[in-house]
Amino acid sequence: MTTARASQAPIVLQLDGIERSFGVGARTVRAVDGVDLVVHRGEIVALLGPNGAGKTTTLDMLLGLIEPSAGTVRVFGERAAEAAASGRIAAVLQTDGLLGDITVRESVEVIASLHSRAALRRVPEVMRRTGLEPLARRRVSKCSGGEQQRVRFTLALVADPEVLVLDEPTAGMDVTARHRFWDVMRAEADSGRTIIFATHYLEEAEQFARRTVVMNRGRIVADAPTARLRTSLGARAVAATVPADRAADLVAALVATAGISDVRNDAGRIRLRAVDADAAAFTLLRAGARDLEVTAPTLETAFTALTED
Amino acid sequence: MAHALTISPTMLRVEALRQLRNPYTLAFTLAMPVGMYLLFGAGASYGAMSAGHGNVRFYVMVSMAAYGAAVAMTSATSSAAVEAAQGWGRQLAMTPLRTTGYAVTKLLTALGAATLAVALVFVVGAATGAEASDGWRWAASAGLVLGGALLFGLYGLGMGLVFRSDSAATLASISLTFFGFFGNVFMPLDGVMLDIARFTPMYGVVALARWPLTEGVLTTGQTDQPWAVALNIAVWAVVFAILVACGSKRSRARR
Repeated sequence: MTTARASQAPIVLQLDGIERSFGVGARTVRAVDGVDLVVHRGEIVALLGPNGAGKTTTLDMLLGLIEPSAGTVRVFGERAAEAAASGRIAAVLQTDGLLGDITVRESVEVIASLHSRAALRRVPEVMRRTGLEPLARRRVSKCSGGEQQRVRFTLALVADPEVLVLDEPTAGMDVTARHRFWDVMRAEADSGRTIIFATHYLEEAEQFARRTVVMNRGRIVADAPTARLRTSLGARAVAATVPADRAADLVAALVATAGISDVRNDAGRIRLRAVDADAAAFTLLRAGARDLEVTAPTLETAFTALTED
Repeated sequence: MAHALTISPTMLRVEALRQLRNPYTLAFTLAMPVGMYLLFGAGASYGAMSAGHGNVRFYVMVSMAAYGAAVAMTSATSSAAVEAAQGWGRQLAMTPLRTTGYAVTKLLTALGAATLAVALVFVVGAATGAEASDGWRWAASAGLVLGGALLFGLYGLGMGLVFRSDSAATLASISLTFFGFFGNVFMPLDGVMLDIARFTPMYGVVALARWPLTEGVLTTGQTDQPWAVALNIAVWAVVFAILVACGSKRSRARR
């Protein structure tokens, strides 16, 4: 399922048949309903799904914050809570998670001091890396949403974890802050950390994750390299401008070809969808077409197809 | 190693500073008890009158210290419970800090704040003519005040667990003002009010804290029975323990 390099790397996360329900009796909600997932070292995995798909619950179990009702969670072969306590796995939590009445530096120092002396010594360097130094003396409640998210990110990094878990890390950030966040993340990924993040921004999965796991209603509905997920679902869109005298014949020929659909002719600009985009492009070019355009479907399309009932 | 008791000096320092920076804590645990002592003890015309083994100023000083210590404990433990249930608790859950370490850290901070409240009132008292016949009566009163404050640590914890919102902490501290008024703490009660007071939660611990001075004799001339004071404390300890048990059951059910 994953790339050859990744599957040779050691397994860091392993979820076997995990289930989790909330509530009792008739009001029981099955948030996670049988999830199997293996993540190898160095992978960057996007966990994609609509609200209520079970993403946060799955990540909470990975971090040992809640126990599964059934199944096992292993992080580096240990129980999740132990891996989190030893700082091998750390998370940027979704909203909250901070005390408003202490300063940025105090927040980082408290969490670092609980992990180890080494983590406490690392505080200035980590704060420099995440750009928190200028905010060090500011109270957390006085920080903007994006700044608070950087504080959470710093709390996660201070233990120098091998696996980073991000639960909708850019929710509430503006575009600039989001870009800056992913720039820092990229540097962390390059330094060899395994990253698993939940998002419902499809473009974040597309741009950042080599592997995408799609969840819906507590189950995994797709798990594949992000690029393949994009192409395997839905045909590509092809467009080209053709000489006016040949347009009618060409349209007729294209409509008759298997695997080609939605053929339209807008004043000499032909648009269509094709499973075999190369063949369609060849037909068009041979007929003298110009300005050829082939576009892959967005993950949005793939996502809608997967999560629709 | 994994189950060793983890306590961080950094966390203790930050938690202590939080107490001192909180304007609410400062007002209710430090300023208010001292202010009320100055008003009803040091500044009152009857302040120098003798009472038991000392004077009225000493009596008022102990009462106000007991109130300040109770508020300090309540506000610290209720906010500890609320924070643990909120996002910060999740953050801490991903560190080696376990429930015991968290509880010990918060208890030490709470006791620190309560001690500061008591010390401040006692220092002001000593400087403004509060008197007791023997030095040990000062120490005994201070010790009993701090011991009695633990009861309100239990109360705050229960309130925080049951209501688990920031307003729970505020509600818990403010309710102590009522306990103070109706518990014969702020001003001497008489008649029906005194009869009611005997059943309220602050009555027992304050009566106990005054014991080194009064040996149970009230301003009305009546005398508290030791068993009645002990019963008051014991019953409220049970009530607050039940509150804590209900609250922790409720917060576990959400997980």
